[in-house]
Amino acid sequence: MAHEIVAATNAVVTLDVAIPGIVWPWLVTVNMWAKSIGTGVIFMLFMLLKTHPESAKHLRLPTAIVAFVFINIFLLFTLADLHQPLRMWHIFAYSHWTSAITVGAWMATVFLGLLALLALLGFKKNDEAYDKVLLWTTILAIPVTLYTAGLMAQCTARELWQMPTESAQMILAALLSGSAFMILMGGSKLSYEAKKSLGVVLGLSALMAFIIYMSEYIFGPMKAEEVAAVMEYIKGDGQYTVMFWLGQWVAYLLPMLFIVLSRTSQSESILKLAAILALVGLAIVKHVWLIIPQLLPMS
Amino acid sequence: MQLGFLVDLHLCMGCKGCEIACKVENEVPLSTWRLRVKYVDVGTFPETKRTFTPLRCNHCENAPCERICPVSALHYLDNGIVNIDKERCIGCAGCVMACPYGAIYIDPQTQTADKCTYCAHRIASSMMPACVVACPVQANIFGDLDDPTSNISKYIQVNQGNVQVRKPEKGTNPHHYYVGGGNVNLNPLASHRVDGHSLFGKITTLPIGGHH
Repeated sequence: MAHEIVAATNAVVTLDVAIPGIVWPWLVTVNMWAKSIGTGVIFMLFMLLKTHPESAKHLRLPTAIVAFVFINIFLLFTLADLHQPLRMWHIFAYSHWTSAITVGAWMATVFLGLLALLALLGFKKNDEAYDKVLLWTTILAIPVTLYTAGLMAQCTARELWQMPTESAQMILAALLSGSAFMILMGGSKLSYEAKKSLGVVLGLSALMAFIIYMSEYIFGPMKAEEVAAVMEYIKGDGQYTVMFWLGQWVAYLLPMLFIVLSRTSQSESILKLAAILALVGLAIVKHVWLIIPQLLPMS
Repeated sequence: MQLGFLVDLHLCMGCKGCEIACKVENEVPLSTWRLRVKYVDVGTFPETKRTFTPLRCNHCENAPCERICPVSALHYLDNGIVNIDKERCIGCAGCVMACPYGAIYIDPQTQTADKCTYCAHRIASSMMPACVVACPVQANIFGDLDDPTSNISKYIQVNQGNVQVRKPEKGTNPHHYYVGGGNVNLNPLASHRVDGHSLFGKITTLPIGGHH
């Protein structure tokens, strides 16, 4: 391993160019966070219409609007992150289909169109047509959620981002944020039973996501030296240690605890607190995982 | 034809002539580099030595930058060069994130990705890349890997067993080789990076493209 070589040779870089700063900044964090909510609420509406149809029927229009708004936020921040935003149209004019960015851009565009259609059908209260379109929208929401994992996996330079774990984390982030947003959006229209179901989804997705992060934290460095080097940024007095653990507590551990408490005390307020924490914490978790591989020198 | 580069690190003396020639030829803006020479000091005084490693785009056969580029701004030429069309680039920086060699940067003037093209414009006029011409010790060997009589093919044959590429585990199949390299030259994790030891004294990182 490289750290043993370093000790043996006492090798020091004495002259090199400065390392480029963060290539994908917080704008990409917001991009991922907003997309999680945009697709997550669609997943949750689909589930609720199957399990609690009477209670969820009032959420057709609000969910379509929320998803539409958050997917637009996602696209806006994607655009803002481009160094040449006015050339965005090149993606559609010169599509390169091996790129996850291209595939994602096309899917997100179609997804946005379906959301607009859902909003229209919801406004017209055409529930039958709405539910048919919702099925296809939910199916499309899966690859729309996953493509960012594909993009991260295509970043050959960033060993930390592996497709199996990132795809699981993307889906879990959508379930976590979708259920959290639905709990908050449901208000008095959504029954407590339905909210409890959402709480279960929130709690389980938080648990699974936390397990995956801890697995990578503990076992990742045992397999790959680049992962080991990246993990140093979130271990000990690493640059992002505090933010990493803050994210884990706020996004996963505290919401899990509060969901258990809300079930034992039958408290909606505690459930809402868990939802707020999950939404805030998810942004922190995503940000740390986005930034740390970018700190590693490539040359 | 598959063009490739080989650097004989036994010969390189770290004069940075290639770096300057590249800057001038390609009008590379301040704070960015298509090619640079890294110095790594090895050992403990008085048993020390300094290694010099020119670093540039590896023109991979299986290039992650080409694969991730959403608009084919990064594309292969028939001669194996991974070229870039700056007019098409949208500046998503996916290539910067994908390149395992840190060879791509965002040009602060054009706000597009840029990198070494093996001086594709010079090659089109049957000239050698600027860095090859500038090297006073002929440490840079450039030529057709498909031609067994080319200098680079002969050099690889003569030095069999001592020819290396950077990060072979990434599966990128670089068309850029080193002779006489070691882990400290080619593996960025095999050496310490102490703050202040860069071209800019105490500057350790630079904003990417000056955009964000």
